[in-house]
Amino acid sequence: MQYPVPHIIQQNHFWLSSQRCIFWEEENALIVCDMHIGKTGHFRKSGIPVSQRVYTEDLQRLLSSILFFKVDKLIIVGDLSHSRSNRELDLFQRWRADFPSLKIHLIKGNHDILNERWYKECKITVHHDKLCIEDFCFCHDACVKEQKKGKYIFSGHMHPGVRIRGMAKQSLSFPCFYFTDTYCVLPAFSKFTGLALIKPEEKESVFAIVENDVMKVR
Amino acid sequence: MDVRQTRGYEVISEWLSAKGLSPFQFQEEAWQHITNGESGLVNAPTGCGKTFSVFLGSLIEFINQHPGDYKKKSKQGLQLLWLTPLRALAKDIGRAMEAVIGELGMNWKIGIRNGDTEIAERQRQTRQMPEVLIITPESLHLLLAQKNYPEFFKTLKIIAVDEWHELLGSKRGVQVELAISRIVNGQWSMVNRKPLLWGISATIGNLEQAKEVLLSTLNFESEKKEGIIIKAEMRKRVEIESIFPDEIEKFPWAGHLGIKLVDKVIPIINNSKTTLIFINTRGMSEIWYQTLLSRAPELAGAIALHHGSIEHELRIWVEEALHAGKLKAVVCTASLDLGVDFRPVETVIQVGSPKGVARFLQRAGRSGHSPDAISKIYFLPTHSLELVEAAALKNAVDENIIESREPMLLCFDVLIQYVCTLAIAEGFRPDNILDEIRSTYCYREITKEEWDNILAHITIGGTALRQYDEFKKIEIDNGLYKIKNRRIAMRHRLQIGTIVSEAMLRAKFVSGGFIGMIEEWFVSRLEPGDVFTLAGRRLEFVMIKEMIVLVRKSNAKKSRVPSWQGGRMPLSANLGKKLRETLDKVRGSEASNVKRETENVERADVIPIAIGSETSNVKYDPGFKIPRLKFHDPNIELHVLRPLFELQEKLSHVPKANELLIEQIETDDGFHLFVYPFEGRLVHEAMAAILAYRISRIMPITFSFAMNDYGFELLSDKPIPVDDTNVYDLFSTENLFQDIQRSVNATEMAKRKFRDIAVIGGLVFQGYPGEQKKARHLQSSASLLFSVFSEYEPNNLLLRQAYTEVFAQQMEEARLRDMLHRVQQSNIIIRFPEQLTPFCFPIKVDSMREDLSSEKLEERVRRMQTQLESQ
Repeated sequence: MQYPVPHIIQQNHFWLSSQRCIFWEEENALIVCDMHIGKTGHFRKSGIPVSQRVYTEDLQRLLSSILFFKVDKLIIVGDLSHSRSNRELDLFQRWRADFPSLKIHLIKGNHDILNERWYKECKITVHHDKLCIEDFCFCHDACVKEQKKGKYIFSGHMHPGVRIRGMAKQSLSFPCFYFTDTYCVLPAFSKFTGLALIKPEEKESVFAIVENDVMKVR
Repeated sequence: MDVRQTRGYEVISEWLSAKGLSPFQFQEEAWQHITNGESGLVNAPTGCGKTFSVFLGSLIEFINQHPGDYKKKSKQGLQLLWLTPLRALAKDIGRAMEAVIGELGMNWKIGIRNGDTEIAERQRQTRQMPEVLIITPESLHLLLAQKNYPEFFKTLKIIAVDEWHELLGSKRGVQVELAISRIVNGQWSMVNRKPLLWGISATIGNLEQAKEVLLSTLNFESEKKEGIIIKAEMRKRVEIESIFPDEIEKFPWAGHLGIKLVDKVIPIINNSKTTLIFINTRGMSEIWYQTLLSRAPELAGAIALHHGSIEHELRIWVEEALHAGKLKAVVCTASLDLGVDFRPVETVIQVGSPKGVARFLQRAGRSGHSPDAISKIYFLPTHSLELVEAAALKNAVDENIIESREPMLLCFDVLIQYVCTLAIAEGFRPDNILDEIRSTYCYREITKEEWDNILAHITIGGTALRQYDEFKKIEIDNGLYKIKNRRIAMRHRLQIGTIVSEAMLRAKFVSGGFIGMIEEWFVSRLEPGDVFTLAGRRLEFVMIKEMIVLVRKSNAKKSRVPSWQGGRMPLSANLGKKLRETLDKVRGSEASNVKRETENVERADVIPIAIGSETSNVKYDPGFKIPRLKFHDPNIELHVLRPLFELQEKLSHVPKANELLIEQIETDDGFHLFVYPFEGRLVHEAMAAILAYRISRIMPITFSFAMNDYGFELLSDKPIPVDDTNVYDLFSTENLFQDIQRSVNATEMAKRKFRDIAVIGGLVFQGYPGEQKKARHLQSSASLLFSVFSEYEPNNLLLRQAYTEVFAQQMEEARLRDMLHRVQQSNIIIRFPEQLTPFCFPIKVDSMREDLSSEKLEERVRRMQTQLESQ
């Protein structure tokens, strides 16, 4: 794994990892979004044979990031699960059981439609609209209200991607971290997700994930 | 048995002679072979009674079986299954057949079954099959998803496949092969009999193979039958005439010249009873229609527009008005390539390259229907260089060179869809069905491993994490493979078919009435109040409601024209070869000036055109008029293009047939390498990628590509290291396959191919009609699945198929290889022109197109042309 890239917001250090997550140094927390667990299972149940390795490797990547940064807190900014319950979620539960001391916060996203009991069993603290810590606020879809209170927002939902144009009109798209002066959008954690291409404005920062590197695009 | 001695023949020929007709020789031949129990192919052009060759043959056979009571017999079960690729054809054919049955006083029923057939009618058919069923390949597969379907076909005597040349070479053709294999062998296993198979085909280069593909399954579990090819010897004379611009642009570019020639089209329309104007794209046909109306308002009401995205009812109306001779002209696309004859059509105009000889002839054949009439077709170039194609086409037509349609092989997506179809109602047993599938031409070489792979794909979903997996599609019940889940079965039924189109929305007037289809991405760019053109009408966008685009009429002067992302046909290999040979003549003609022999002069009929003088400093002289040369002077286009060729020769070189021209030019955009193999845009795309890869091994360098049918461009920010020392190696056939695979573009191309494959193979679900929302959590794009499969399941069958399709069809690997062999034996000429040349200009403009809006493009091209002309 490439060394993560630091990004400082309001004197806090956020390390952007090529593993599609952010390490928040001051809180010793890992921030992720849009994991869409159970998505492959949902597809398979309907006769679409998508390989489950996407899912298992997503979980392995999460595991290695947690170990790498030695965090004690995981903040999931929405869309932990993809759809209704299926057996693939059992694998996540087993995975969860291996980290009893890890605190997990989920800020509910539009896909998080599972039974309350399931979250309880997984020892996940569920926040319905937002979670605020210090000067920062976490919500699934960048909500405008909080910005007025001067809190910096971390959100997901969008699955941002950026198109990088080379010389001679070549272009490729990559998942990215997208920072404006009031909010940030994380790349979707799951690799079984598409990209919504963003068009960054002046003064906004974009970090593209190019294989195992995080590259500042602007 | 001599068919002419039979009662059936007597009845039919009496009926014909009562109408003052007698059978054509090829029809009699067909009847004889049908009586003999043979199968085969009838090769006949549209409009000379090809339908009757097989249809009357099946009637004769029936009368011979029931000579005493053939009139009374009804409810005989299916006798003739008539497969047609076009829904629009079904009605006309049905009507013609019904008329015959009526006049013969017989009791046969003619049924039509396709997407337009009402449910009640379909149910009537399944209760009691009509004697003749006219059906599309898709509806036939849907029939195989019905309970007791083998019963429907038990009595079947003949399967006729109309327009087989059109189906062959597409996945719909593969669908036909599969359905036929099931019907033929289903009947065999029930009653130990097989129906006859008859294809009806226009002339193609590989008729023999076309027959072999169609009849392949007949040889299963019975003695080999070669089958018969019956040729209708009716070669129509074709007259080709080019429409010349007043001035030959020395820096041509595609897409703008055509419409400027509209004023030359109006007199042609006026002088002919009915004219068909063929345009290559739907978007351009909308523009042509509007322009014709604004330049010749008197034609309002007498011209119409016809293309595949116009609402079905409106198209039917146009077709009926065409039949009735009510229209002076119809602007159309390939949508009118096929189908029944429109007798009033006297003249055809082809706008832009027809891309192939066969298509050009097919379109020409839309005019002049009486057996001795001449088919008249005008060729209207969309840029001046395209005039060379007219000359090449004339040669090709003279020599009767016609393209082949290569049948598709091992389409796993279609096979997965097919076995799932079979699993819906009756289920299948893998071993039995595999033998049957192998009896088709498409799958005769399928390996056991590939088959097992397919079975794993549909039963256990490839490989899975056992304990957490709930994959469900086909379940196995005592060895019988069945889909038991009703939702999955329903989803599958909705997905049957192999034509994958862009996400389309229907447009409808707020006051009611559907107009046609536009692609979702175009709609997404519309704001309420925006005006666009569809089906020749100006429409104001109101809103989207329940997936329908609501519009109202608009009188706005300006409107946007939707574009549809249809596949662009590449230039065929035959036409490419003819083009290279034609360029040879350019050099030949340089010595002699335009011939003005007396036999070619029609003094009364002069048109102004620019011609070249002996000096290279050519100027257009508007006052100078030369007599029109007769169409059969094969080189007139080349004479007209002389100024362009002279400039090309001055700046660079005009390649001979045994030469490959490469131009290296430096501009503000970077370093360009232009290559002109004349092999069609797809082969060029592949060649560009391979060349880029091979050059990048000499030194690290990145490129962008652009291409048209004549050549391609590599553009880089660094000088491109291609010279006499390495150029033959760069075009070598060695390691071709590996180099294709390594060139980045293969992945991008495969990703595009995968779009269709994913839909056909059932990976991407496009939603229930009208209720997209319910399947929201199942939505994914084919490109996402492509990435996921590539990373986690690189051996996936459908993924591999995407690459195979890229190599076989997209890149036309065989053609690519032929081209490279040719290049190795030819002279490669490398030139370093100081400026852009007439040959490279259209490619250069095409590559700018992506980045610029059309007005800006026009402006910039003008500026470039002026600059270049003054240099």
